[in-house]
Amino acid sequence: MVLIIDTTEEKLGKRVVTELKDNKDISYEYIDALSLDILNCQGCNCCWLKTPGQCVINDEFEPVLKKITKARQVWMVTDTKFGFISYKTKNIIDRLIPIITVNLHFVGKQVKHVVRYDNKPDFGIIYLGQGDKDYLSYWCEKCAININGKSLGVYEIEKYKEAVLCM
Amino acid sequence: MHVMIVNGSPRVENLSNTEKIIDAFVTGLSECDATYERYAISKRSSWKKIKEAYMKNTEIIFALPLYAENIPGIMLEFLETLPAKDSNTRLSFILQGGFGEASQLDCGLRFLRNLPKYLGVSYGGTLVKGDNFGIRVVKEEIIKFIIPYVEQGRAFVRENGFKSKRIKKFAGPKYYALPVRIIYQFIFMTYAKKRFAKLAKEWGSSVPIDYKPWE
Repeated sequence: MVLIIDTTEEKLGKRVVTELKDNKDISYEYIDALSLDILNCQGCNCCWLKTPGQCVINDEFEPVLKKITKARQVWMVTDTKFGFISYKTKNIIDRLIPIITVNLHFVGKQVKHVVRYDNKPDFGIIYLGQGDKDYLSYWCEKCAININGKSLGVYEIEKYKEAVLCM
Repeated sequence: MHVMIVNGSPRVENLSNTEKIIDAFVTGLSECDATYERYAISKRSSWKKIKEAYMKNTEIIFALPLYAENIPGIMLEFLETLPAKDSNTRLSFILQGGFGEASQLDCGLRFLRNLPKYLGVSYGGTLVKGDNFGIRVVKEEIIKFIIPYVEQGRAFVRENGFKSKRIKKFAGPKYYALPVRIIYQFIFMTYAKKRFAKLAKEWGSSVPIDYKPWE
């Protein structure tokens, strides 16, 4: 399943959904994350040590996280600020901590946390505005490695059809 | 020198590793006759006061933990609320993380180097150091983790900012050497695993560390 998580005011992820409906025969789900109450990660470490795998923040994020653990691809559709993703999208990424464990191992030359689930989603970004594409690509790759997936790349919203080709 | 220091961590101050690092850093500032004022963004009710101080001060340091290869979402949200300033204001950073290798902080560092230009202010450098996960969980050794920041506070005054040669040395090795990685891998698979499991029990967990709630 391809999961599209949209945090844009304009619901730009719906363009992706239309393209998928028209041109691809794949399973997908769309989440309008802006309509959900999703708070920032508080860094409590409970999802590692107190309630392993589960976040203790009582908001509307858990169903989103469940879908992420089942997805083959996760696409974030986001506004940009400071050349980077919006804080609304960053809050979602920060909240992915429960899908990795506190245990450690080496991936290449760097220490990483051991992932919790066998399913390892690949990760891509579709952005609106003045994003620093080089930096976003670099960041996307780093984040994908952390969840043991691959980066699907970073696309300006005008090029969303190119992103759909990867789905 | 008068320095405004903002803790950019989402954790409440009494549980914040970054707060303890700031404690040590300002000790160094004081020893060199600098003055400081401290803030933390974890409580949104304090944001108005922090913004006013940001507009008033010209020597500002944000101290923060690395979250998902960059600054925490709450800090990004706070920064989006800041009005533009000019290059008379110098913005510096203390970036800290849990992993020991300096390369783990590269992605966050690259963002912080460019951030001041988006805010219209000048960049004063970033003090980078990892290996700080233990501040919270290995309480008996907390001094070992934070003491080095006292000297960095002194150096900030003495050298008028974070100078590249010093901060490079402070960050430690980019990667561990192969023999060190082999030893660590063995520790991760044995002692560290047991230690984390024990810690989880102390925190009240009744399931294994690698429990999969949705499988």
